[in-house]
Amino acid sequence: MDIFKKTPNIDWLKFKWIALGLTTLIILAGILNITLGKGLKMGVDFGEGTLIRIKFKEPTSVSDIRKRLNEVGLGSSIIQETGKNRTEFQIRTVEIKSTRQDQNEELESHQILANKVIEALQKKEDQEKLAQGLLDLNNIDHKTIASLLSQVFPEKSEELAQKIIEFRRQNGLITDWNSLKKEPYSLDDKVLSFLQQKTFLGSMTVLSRETVGPQVGKDLRKKATQAIIWSLIGMLVYIAFRFKGVEYGAAAIFTLFQDVLVSLSIYSFTNREINLPIIAALLTIVGYSINDTIVIFDRIRELKRLRRKEPLEKIMNLSINLNLTRTIFTSATTFLAVLALFLFGGKVINDFAFIMLIGSIEGIYSTFFMSCPVVLFWNKLFKKKK
Amino acid sequence: MKKNLRWKLILILFVIVLCIFLIYPPKDKIKLGLDLKGGTHLVLQVMTDDAINAETDQQIARFEEVFKKNKITYTEAAKEKPGRFHFKGINADQEGKVRDLIDQYTRDWDYSFSGDTVTFNLKPVAEQFLRDQAVIQTLETIRNRVDQFGVAEPIIQRQGSDRIVVELPGIEDPERVKNLIKVTAVLEFKLVKAGPAPDEETLLQPYEGKVPEDAEVVKGDPKRGHQGYYLVSKVASITGKDLRTVRRGTDEWNNPAVHFTLTPEGARRFEKVTGENVGKQLAIILDGKLQSAPVINSRISDSGIIQGRFTPEEADDLVVILKAGALPAGIKYLEERTVGPTLGADSIRQGLAAGLVAIFTVMAFMLFYYKLSGINAVIALFLNELIIFAALSYFKATLTLPGIAGIILGIGMAVDANILIFERIKEELALGKNVFSAINNGFSRAFSAIFDSNLTTIISAIFLFQFGTGPIKGYAITISCSLVANLFTAVFVSRFIFELIVPNNAKRLSI
Repeated sequence: MDIFKKTPNIDWLKFKWIALGLTTLIILAGILNITLGKGLKMGVDFGEGTLIRIKFKEPTSVSDIRKRLNEVGLGSSIIQETGKNRTEFQIRTVEIKSTRQDQNEELESHQILANKVIEALQKKEDQEKLAQGLLDLNNIDHKTIASLLSQVFPEKSEELAQKIIEFRRQNGLITDWNSLKKEPYSLDDKVLSFLQQKTFLGSMTVLSRETVGPQVGKDLRKKATQAIIWSLIGMLVYIAFRFKGVEYGAAAIFTLFQDVLVSLSIYSFTNREINLPIIAALLTIVGYSINDTIVIFDRIRELKRLRRKEPLEKIMNLSINLNLTRTIFTSATTFLAVLALFLFGGKVINDFAFIMLIGSIEGIYSTFFMSCPVVLFWNKLFKKKK
Repeated sequence: MKKNLRWKLILILFVIVLCIFLIYPPKDKIKLGLDLKGGTHLVLQVMTDDAINAETDQQIARFEEVFKKNKITYTEAAKEKPGRFHFKGINADQEGKVRDLIDQYTRDWDYSFSGDTVTFNLKPVAEQFLRDQAVIQTLETIRNRVDQFGVAEPIIQRQGSDRIVVELPGIEDPERVKNLIKVTAVLEFKLVKAGPAPDEETLLQPYEGKVPEDAEVVKGDPKRGHQGYYLVSKVASITGKDLRTVRRGTDEWNNPAVHFTLTPEGARRFEKVTGENVGKQLAIILDGKLQSAPVINSRISDSGIIQGRFTPEEADDLVVILKAGALPAGIKYLEERTVGPTLGADSIRQGLAAGLVAIFTVMAFMLFYYKLSGINAVIALFLNELIIFAALSYFKATLTLPGIAGIILGIGMAVDANILIFERIKEELALGKNVFSAINNGFSRAFSAIFDSNLTTIISAIFLFQFGTGPIKGYAITISCSLVANLFTAVFVSRFIFELIVPNNAKRLSI
């Protein structure tokens, strides 16, 4: 089976001006949006606030959460629904200058904000029970449960705590006591009545909580920049070395920058944040797009030896056309893998999958339309006609 | 079977067996990152300035003593900043003697005279050593505390010059352990001279408002039910260093308390102090806060008890920190990430689902488009996954959520090499070559492109590994393992399968 009966004969280089125009347009829009519009949102990894993921017992809504946060003056936090069933949300506190004392206290002040968020979202009755000295069985960890149970059931406290954590692992929250009686947890009445005396089932559980202080945030920013710059340089050196030509290296630089800029520009129009995985994704996009470009350049290198008389432009078109099926297919398989990640991979990895989706489409475009013309432009500018 | 094929088969089987050996049993061999199994990740900074400060104070005290002993007079001894102090008002004719004394007593400090003042500067090498020691000791102390607290498989590592990373699997409520790590835990027993008083002024009234030279003021710890101020002796009778054993017990009212015994040397001093001061109060001070001030009823030699309205957990934690010893320098938290058990389990489930969907879609696609040759790609893909997990186990790398993303992305990329080769074979067949040489040419001509493209991505993965932290390292590892494995599976194994199955004189190829 073939998608093309014979090698197609498309004049890709004819579109070079249109492609260049389109790229410029996207990047310009992106730059305008980043500098003058809403800009790129930096995430917790770069020292901006605390990210809290919460699961509620009962369905609620973003506006309800915002209302409750407004009461404690944190209504400007970024609130997103994450899971299904309107029970899972992620909240990122936005830093409030007045709560900062100095650099030393900053991590603490982030955490104070996070505690305020959690308190605000807890129901009144939860807070009353906490004040009475009861523990929230939906939030305490294995060790705390075990040490509580060891007061009365010293022999099997570890095992019982493990069962309760396992229940939370599987179901997220304990919604009623009786569900703990069922298989495979099968807690007996004695244990349950003890737990009912000492603990209560809180209305929500904190799934995760991340705070990065300003110093580490600054470091991570620096490291991310270094990772990008060094890997770009590494790739360039390798390509220039392998293809023995500055024009190919230059074309690769250009393609790299356009890959990063176009992906970031499109990303800037979404509500998503830049975190470390996004940097990793950008580098993968670059690496991947470079792969495609290399395959084409590799073909050009081969064909130039075989058909010395033909003009470079024709060889380039032929190289792209010969590799057309391959480029479409590899991009398609990667796209499928990334799509699976985007659809089924869960919220934590969703931003990563999203930028990879953009990148895998953008990568094909840059391979087809951008890399070869740059080599031609370079030759026109710097090489005299023989 | 041809001879070279036999060797190839043996090599491939060897790799498979080795991989299975490395992976089995997966539960023990594949380590999950905190983002998948739940737990707390902390980054903290050691305030190494504290160590320099302490060293400076110590040196000043030491030279005060040395000068006193050698009858050197001076008007002022003062610390300018950590690592720098001076003695002022030294007689000009004593300068030579001072120089001799300094040379005799310290090698770690540079000194210089100007007029009647000698200024000491801590040598950079010595300073570096002190800072380093502070970090190493802090790390050890934290490790002891965490071990005593009881966390399964904690990771406590130094990061850079003055940072420490602490990973605590299974701890999702980090407040308690954070406090446990952070307390400096300097324990001192000092005689009470006066107090308690509601404020410092009332306390110092009998002393004309001035703190006597041999005393200092401490505040009661409100948590322990002590509100007021106390005047205690400056010199500690015994300190945390004199403790031999510590355990949790109860006091005479059955409240949680901490029992201790002393080292022989500590016991001797304690016996002397308690014997001479029967009827007086002895303050038990932790990190500058008075915990309790029991009255000395009789001479005590080698054991005692610390009370202070503890909850059982607080008493446990006090035992832990006293056993592990004091921190040489203060610490500050820089980063904190906590993942609960539910989110970790969700991430594993979702990662697995995405991975399975990706692998089966890609396989279906390859089988559909390349027919029987697609089987080749499917085998290569399975082998690829096997090698990735074996490599994770071999390098003792942890599998993180971005790591799973790397594996899934690798699935898409792994078939790239297959596609390149298959397309090239098709091209050769279209040119009218026979099956045998088409396969040969397909592999050899596609190789340079496969090699170059995999290598460029590996280059970026290497830098990601170099500069990345935790989860990103996991991604860099899985993606580069996947690419290296790819060179083996898609080129070597896949070619072997063609050679094994397709006869040399085959007329048609299902591709």
